[in-house]
Amino acid sequence: MKIILPVLVLAALGLTGCATSVNTVQRANAQATPSYVADQRVITDSTLARKLATVSVNEAKVSGNLLKIQVTLENLSSRPQAFTYKFDWIADDGMELSGPTGGWKQIQLEGREVRAISSIATNPRAVDFRLKVREN
Amino acid sequence: MKTTRLALLALSAATAAFVTGCASNNAKYVDSQGPNTIVSLNSINVQDWNTAADKLVSSLLASGVLDRAPELPSIMAISRIRNNTQQQVDTDSLTKKIRIALNQTGKVVTTTTMGPDGKVEDAMAADAGAMGAFMAGQKQVTKLPYYTLSGKLLEDRVKAGTTRQVTYTFQLSLTTVKDGLALWEGEEQITKQGERSSVGW
Repeated sequence: MKIILPVLVLAALGLTGCATSVNTVQRANAQATPSYVADQRVITDSTLARKLATVSVNEAKVSGNLLKIQVTLENLSSRPQAFTYKFDWIADDGMELSGPTGGWKQIQLEGREVRAISSIATNPRAVDFRLKVREN
Repeated sequence: MKTTRLALLALSAATAAFVTGCASNNAKYVDSQGPNTIVSLNSINVQDWNTAADKLVSSLLASGVLDRAPELPSIMAISRIRNNTQQQVDTDSLTKKIRIALNQTGKVVTTTTMGPDGKVEDAMAADAGAMGAFMAGQKQVTKLPYYTLSGKLLEDRVKAGTTRQVTYTFQLSLTTVKDGLALWEGEEQITKQGERSSVGW
């Protein structure tokens, strides 16, 4: 019994280990006026949903006629987590558009970090998007 | 006792089957743009080219410089992309993706009859154009590029104990031919760390 307690403490320390989360400072009253997108979420991995939150989705037009989507994510864990994501683009006729650079990308978020991922549709016909996220 | 042993054996077999699942070492197809490609520390992988091209194209489009050209689509020529890495790579792995993406935007077309040191990508198109103009008794009118795209690939390697780290830097500049000024410059870094290559991210 005398041995078990220190072992448990060490195990707990080992588990929490280098867990560090991010402290942030920002303007109290944001000046930016993003154009938010009303989004629909499909959760197939509840474990991932408990680790990663989608804070907001906003859109803009860049270079005149190209759709840009920015999704702000938050790592709900106090540990660093790696995720992979992919943007799909959909044309006004509902057809999915393919591009040379549209593969899965990786993002690593520090503990409790909030960060935005974004993508620009290279095809001006893109009007809708689909973001896929998976845990590494 | 015998029953317990049998139960343990069955449990072990079931666990082994569950852990290995349907995995096999036989060759199989994987999505080139998917997350199950090989990550290696001694080369630029397909996903690295893809990520670098995507980030650089996004940076170029977001800068808005392409819309300032006097006519759209504007003509771009691919200049020299220096490879200062230890790898033997074909820089088209980067530039072709960028060309396709920019072409899709409808803002840029790439000339294939002009290249650095007179090395053209499509010699037949250049010759056919000259021949056509000659046969028609006209002087060949070559459309000059409005932009050139140049760049450099860099590599940085460090090691700490058995952990190796490699950083590949992809640098690009878009220059307007008329004044030689770099209208847009982009840089993307990809860092990989580990002891050995792995399958999947």
